[in-house]
Amino acid sequence: MKARVIVAALLAVALSAAASTASGSVRTAKASSITVWLMGDAQSGWPNVVAEANSAFKAKHPGVDVKVQYQTWGDHLTKFDATIAGGDTPDVLELGNSETTKYMANGALKRLTPSAFPNNKTWLAGLKASCTYGGKLYCVPYYAGARAVIYRKDQYRAAGIKGTPKSLAQFLTVGKKLMKKFGKNDPNFSAFYFAGKNWYASLAYVYDYGGQIAVQRKGKWVGTLASKNAIKGLTVAKAVVRALSRASKTTDEAHPQQALVFAKGHVASFIGNGWEWPYALNKDSGNPDLAPDVGAYPMPSHIKGTLMPEFLGGSDLAIPAQSKNASLAADWIKAFTGTSAETGLAKVGNIPNTTKLAGVNKDNPQLAPFAVAASSSWFVPTAPNWVNVENANVLQDMLVQIYTGKKSVQAAAKSADKQIESILNG
Amino acid sequence: MAVAESEFPLASRRRRRSSRRRVASALAPYAFLAPTTAVIAAVLGYPLYLLVRLSLEKYGLFELVRHKGTWIGVDNYTKIFHDSQFWHVVLRTVVFTAVNVGLTMVLGTGIALLIARLGRFLRLLLTTGLVLVWATPVVVAVNIWRWMVDYEFGIANWTLTKIHVGNFVHHDWFANNLSGFGVITAVIVWGAIPFVTITIYAGLSQVPQELVEAAQIDGARAWNVFREVTLPLLKPIFIILTSLSIIWDFQVFNQVWIMLGERPSNDYYLMSIYAFVESFRINEYGLGSAIAVVMVAIMMVATVFYIRQMAKTGEVR
Repeated sequence: MKARVIVAALLAVALSAAASTASGSVRTAKASSITVWLMGDAQSGWPNVVAEANSAFKAKHPGVDVKVQYQTWGDHLTKFDATIAGGDTPDVLELGNSETTKYMANGALKRLTPSAFPNNKTWLAGLKASCTYGGKLYCVPYYAGARAVIYRKDQYRAAGIKGTPKSLAQFLTVGKKLMKKFGKNDPNFSAFYFAGKNWYASLAYVYDYGGQIAVQRKGKWVGTLASKNAIKGLTVAKAVVRALSRASKTTDEAHPQQALVFAKGHVASFIGNGWEWPYALNKDSGNPDLAPDVGAYPMPSHIKGTLMPEFLGGSDLAIPAQSKNASLAADWIKAFTGTSAETGLAKVGNIPNTTKLAGVNKDNPQLAPFAVAASSSWFVPTAPNWVNVENANVLQDMLVQIYTGKKSVQAAAKSADKQIESILNG
Repeated sequence: MAVAESEFPLASRRRRRSSRRRVASALAPYAFLAPTTAVIAAVLGYPLYLLVRLSLEKYGLFELVRHKGTWIGVDNYTKIFHDSQFWHVVLRTVVFTAVNVGLTMVLGTGIALLIARLGRFLRLLLTTGLVLVWATPVVVAVNIWRWMVDYEFGIANWTLTKIHVGNFVHHDWFANNLSGFGVITAVIVWGAIPFVTITIYAGLSQVPQELVEAAQIDGARAWNVFREVTLPLLKPIFIILTSLSIIWDFQVFNQVWIMLGERPSNDYYLMSIYAFVESFRINEYGLGSAIAVVMVAIMMVATVFYIRQMAKTGEVR
């Protein structure tokens, strides 16, 4: 009897183990196609630009299929590393501009000739720098972006607010007025929706008060988040977030997508990229009825009349070292970063990769604020290991501790400094 | 003797034949074991060898691109053993496993005893429910639980507020890792109960009714019957279920990973998560492998009980 029960149990274990491992998939690679990894932003923000580049590419290379696979920021590098191990990398890879250095330094990307790509003389300096390692080019600038405050004009008006705030103090006053007007009866209302792990927008306060994440001293990286100015910035950020936001302190701005939370109507403002405005009004996932009431303005600094430096985000396109279709990949990148494609990117709210197109959105009230916001920006320390700080969630963990009050600003910043030093010098 | 000698040629042939047969019969078990051994060596032994080798190498992105690591001996182990976070994670994993296994076994046994007392219809209903839970894929189950405890739109917060347990509007279950692990434990125990319950129920149905009746006539109450009759009879099953649960709960990964949006903060690290983050997020594959090897070693200790029990059961038969 005992034995029978045991055999039954073992059989069950064996079956469940077999079921959980039988999920592998078979891939067949055709020589007549290239694989392109783009981030999901392109899928939700500018699918037409991708389609246009694909047809331009196919006109030149009939019979070559372009397989565009959309990735998420959370795990695209893990996936890419797996393809390196398996020797089956994509032919074109989108990388965030803070992710490139590690891959360039470790020889994971093919070296490129700048003159082969359109507008290479007028590329944005910041993006070009993120593609250059040891004086050589390893990727092509794709687009840049800086965040601005996207807000509900009707709610601002209803709360008796005239114009937009010109200093951080005014911003806080405006927010408190909104919380008073709408937040009392609506427990879901946020005057300024701000997810706790939004480190791009949080660290902007550090830079606004003259702080930095880390600096290089005598060839070694030193974490500076616990320095006086950085602590001041983080303390103000905590005050703003706790007073004006009812967003979760333990999730990031993409879970849930903040633009879609905004579209639900319980949010008076949030800080987002240019493409998040039209995304909030998207008829499938957002709310087109809000269109006449949405506006944007650059985030003001604590110094009246100036702007808070915003993270200069951006993306580059690279060809992995193991790609077997490098010349086809280069042709696709040319089609996707040419003047026509970049104009399309600009029109949906991005900053194009070339200064030639800087004026495209000048007269568009929907997009001009983002271009203005980009004029005052900050960037992460340019250490080869920087992306590991992002991947180990060092800054996000620190922010969660600060915003939830689990640790004091000082203690959280100190422990983050320690981790940053060990990663950057490791 | 003489007879024997006269028959020598025949006897020797017979002896030779029988000795050949003896050799063959001595080898037979090994021949039967060979395919299994080969399969285990291929699917378990080789990966384990690679894991151990990787744990003795410096293997980062640079090495990955070139498909070649650098031998550094036990440096990776020295590094993790001197890392205070590593010991926190080990302790957290052990406590987490103990709580999950304990809850799974107690609740699983309780429900099995309940089923044994139910009528046919309810028993069928309950068993069907259990099988459905069992059949739910982990990823689907975790996502459903995640929605239920969602910060903004979750039904858990809504219900708790409606029935006046307290103000759970915008209650963040994961702000504090104790309540966060509470939710994760609920998901794991919920998913583990069906197997435990159904196995114990199968065992219960084999407990001779005469023994139970005899004990009851002697004045034993329900608890005493369970302790003095049922438990000793089902001991092998309990030991095996506990050992298996320890193995499963010690290496929990998906429930934590998916529940926390694939970016758990470091106060949610269990050993499996820590090894994964070191390997696949930070590209320290050697370091990650060293953590995994330590994990395997700890699991081996836990498995000893399981194997010993298996061996003992075999002897009884």
